[in-house]
Amino acid sequence: MNAQRWQHGLWVSWLGVIVVLIVWQAVNSFEIVNPRIFPGPVSVLETALTRFPLETLLGHISASLMRVAAGFALGAGLGITLGILAGWYRIFGKMLWGPIEILRPIPPLAWIPIALIWFGLGESSKIFIIFLGAFFPIITNTYKGMATIDPMLIRAAQTMGVRGLKMLAQIAIPAALPDIAIGIRVGWSLSFGSLVAAEILAAQEGLGYMIMYARELGEINVIVYGIILIGVLNLATDFLIYEFLFKRRLRWHFGQR
Amino acid sequence: MRSSEGIPGGAARPTRRARRRIPDWLYGLGTVAALLALWEFASVQGWLGTHQLPPPSKLAGTFQQLLERGFPRGLTADVHIWATLWRIIRGYALATTLALPLGILIGASPLLDRATAPVITFARSVATISLLPLAVAWFGVGEETRIFLITYACFWIILTSVVDAVKGVPAVYIRAAETLGASRRQIFFQVMLPASLPRIFAGMRVALGVAFLVIVAVEMIGTVTGLGALIMEARTFYRSDIAVVGMIFIAIIGFAIAKVLDIAERLLLPWASSLDEVQR
Repeated sequence: MNAQRWQHGLWVSWLGVIVVLIVWQAVNSFEIVNPRIFPGPVSVLETALTRFPLETLLGHISASLMRVAAGFALGAGLGITLGILAGWYRIFGKMLWGPIEILRPIPPLAWIPIALIWFGLGESSKIFIIFLGAFFPIITNTYKGMATIDPMLIRAAQTMGVRGLKMLAQIAIPAALPDIAIGIRVGWSLSFGSLVAAEILAAQEGLGYMIMYARELGEINVIVYGIILIGVLNLATDFLIYEFLFKRRLRWHFGQR
Repeated sequence: MRSSEGIPGGAARPTRRARRRIPDWLYGLGTVAALLALWEFASVQGWLGTHQLPPPSKLAGTFQQLLERGFPRGLTADVHIWATLWRIIRGYALATTLALPLGILIGASPLLDRATAPVITFARSVATISLLPLAVAWFGVGEETRIFLITYACFWIILTSVVDAVKGVPAVYIRAAETLGASRRQIFFQVMLPASLPRIFAGMRVALGVAFLVIVAVEMIGTVTGLGALIMEARTFYRSDIAVVGMIFIAIIGFAIAKVLDIAERLLLPWASSLDEVQR
């Protein structure tokens, strides 16, 4: 047990990161791979600090975030609503599940061509793709949460005279919340992945566009910087969802692990 | 509970038994049929632009055209499907080969696990598609780029699941085996591996789904073969009928992949289903 505690020191984690950075820089410095296509961390950092004024950078980041927020909000709103309805009204659920099962195996990114035909190159085609990324995992998990509520809960509430919409709002939906939260987390990560792809294929602004444009100019440093930024943004937003939704709001379910 | 697969028909409310059970799938099928009929009707009435959304009746012809003549000409549907599957197989196999031994190594050593955790977490968060420009700079717009991206996407998912699975083997199992005088080799092959395989398999299954997701997007750039290329070419020529049929192929392949894995899991790991309950 003591040995384990010692290993829990944070420094070990940092050590791993530092080793990776050193190896990365070494590969670049000793030109093991052509440094023109494999920039080191130092030169990427230099690019990050000199080439991108805060304003440009924030412009790209906010363009991306606004897009993903819009698409995600639509997907989550519709997914949760339909999922709850499908779980509550059994016939509606069975009917809805036909088209859902058929459309679900199609990855959101496979909708890009048809979205471009339907909506053109504008903002709506991108938001549509992001919407799909969020919609399917959220509706699936919401429905699953509603369908697997412990019948004891329902019966217990019934004996206390709870019925109708009150049952839905006060018993069923809270009981399904943990599954909805899982759907939200999965949906967010899929939305985010779809965002990058949509921006790479067609956009004039945003982080995906930033790296695709850098490719045309052959600026590998900028590409690597952009990849890291996208990764950090993804990690940070996922962390926020986890902290607020799982650890605070749903502490009663996820907390005691 | 397997989260990604079909939804159990469990009741949210205890309902009275239906007099004559209509099977659940019939409702779904009915809705789909009704929607298709509505779609056809709307097209005939001219409410839907046939260029944006061709009617189902036209799609049947497109389907046949795709199987016989192909699009772009000569590249029939089976060529596209095989191109996509072959890319997935290579990238997936490479990722598995790399991730399995590495994951077992990391999972078995708490120190190594601590040291690699931040790097793995970050590498997982990197959107695979965002690596596309970099991969193109490294490998050009050929097959290597596509296989590299599949490998990258699958590798981290499988690695994480292997690490978690090995870490998650209850210490009691190992101690029990030790008390019974099992050798290290026996413990590894007869205790650790069987106990961790279900979770490893769960990760490998997620990875395969992601591989499919990634390849369809990656094929949209720089190639004419593969399902992603098929639907992107269709958009270039404004052939929405071909795009829709291509998406139907994608749905079928995606569904088939999930089903095959389901069956494989049941055949190879009959003890896994009981573990599902434990995890929940």
